[in-house]
Amino acid sequence: MKFEQTIDLPGVSPERVWAFVMDVPSMAKCIPGSEGVEDLGNNRYKAVVKIKVGPIGLALASEISIVAKDEANRTASLLVEAADKRVGGAVKATMSMTLTPAGDGSKLEVSTDANVMGRIGDFGQPIIRKKADQTLQEVGENLRKALATTTSRP
Amino acid sequence: MRTFDYTAAASIDEALAALKEYGDEAEFIAGGTSLILLMQQGLVQPAKVIGLGNIKELRGIKRTADGGLEVGAMTTHRQLETSPEAFAYAAALPQSLGVIATIRIRNQATLGGNLVHADPAQDPPPVLIALDATVDVVKAGGGARAIPMEAFFTDFFETVLGDNELVRSVKIPPMPSGSRLAYKKFLPRTADDYATVSVAVRLGVDADGRCKDIRIGLGALAVTPLRAKAVESALLGQKLTEQSIKDAAALVRDVVDPLDDVRGSAGYKREMARVWTERTIASLAGVKAKA
Repeated sequence: MKFEQTIDLPGVSPERVWAFVMDVPSMAKCIPGSEGVEDLGNNRYKAVVKIKVGPIGLALASEISIVAKDEANRTASLLVEAADKRVGGAVKATMSMTLTPAGDGSKLEVSTDANVMGRIGDFGQPIIRKKADQTLQEVGENLRKALATTTSRP
Repeated sequence: MRTFDYTAAASIDEALAALKEYGDEAEFIAGGTSLILLMQQGLVQPAKVIGLGNIKELRGIKRTADGGLEVGAMTTHRQLETSPEAFAYAAALPQSLGVIATIRIRNQATLGGNLVHADPAQDPPPVLIALDATVDVVKAGGGARAIPMEAFFTDFFETVLGDNELVRSVKIPPMPSGSRLAYKKFLPRTADDYATVSVAVRLGVDADGRCKDIRIGLGALAVTPLRAKAVESALLGQKLTEQSIKDAAALVRDVVDPLDDVRGSAGYKREMARVWTERTIASLAGVKAKA
């Protein structure tokens, strides 16, 4: 399942966005339902992401690795491997992001390729896609808010 | 399936008390046609299941003093489908229950369970939206609130119900004088399938052929059932002709936000929403549909 998302961040310099996004614990705060982020070292992180769809609650134990990081071109790719032991299902996603200047601010483009395995897949792709789209929108909103409140001081 | 404890609650208070005690680990079970499937799939794994079948207050179908209808949450689809009270209210209401799944499921599934499950492709919600129904909800520790049907659903599988609330009944106001109801379910695959799109319309026409009452409910066309207010406003007070109905029905395209799935692409469903909205209104107006 592929997702493309563009997040416009007017008034925020690419330098600041890059620093924020590459700091996984601060970025994780923008992901709804994420808890207990741990730095495992070596560009690897651990977190639990809780997702609820009606009576169905998933607790995805996730491992996030920054597999490539090119600061000069401001591109990075991440590997996310998440599993819910109770329900029995897993998600494996690769995310590539490109950050470019846009007007007085920045534009963050994220493309995600996710595989949903096991019982989580029983939900049906249309619902998963809708839910994932909603979540990505929220991440974009939260990122905008987080960067707006941590305005650079002179 | 994970093992679980089962309690049959004897009253609404007892059911809500058990829900409070077990919190997230508990689920109410009404007919069980959806919950058991989710449990078998392992997607929902409650430690406690609270049965509502013994609660007398949740049963029964009755006409209200003002000519409306009140349906207890534990009423099965089949009970409503065969109810003389429902038939006397509007024949299309029990008929709309008769197109749900199969008779075995209709004998088991309940109206309250159907609403709380909040699957957007179910049949009762659009019909109840068209009928201006409200959901009568009881809170733990007393208190109740009435939620308009169209405001009950918030997302796929999600409703406005709090975790200390239970649906007691559905209240349907009296049918406006001269108004009638129709429900059309587009089923291109099999007769017992979920709707590809579904449309319910309550329509009243005055002596001059002008629309004096209209409410439209839509199923399977977004993550929740919908009300097509834009189409209603375009027709209210207008003369109902082939053309006016066709023009108004076209507005439904902007109301819906369908999901691509095995029953069709989002674009196809959007177009079918237009076609079936036009046909349903036309059938009640006694006008030939253009679509």
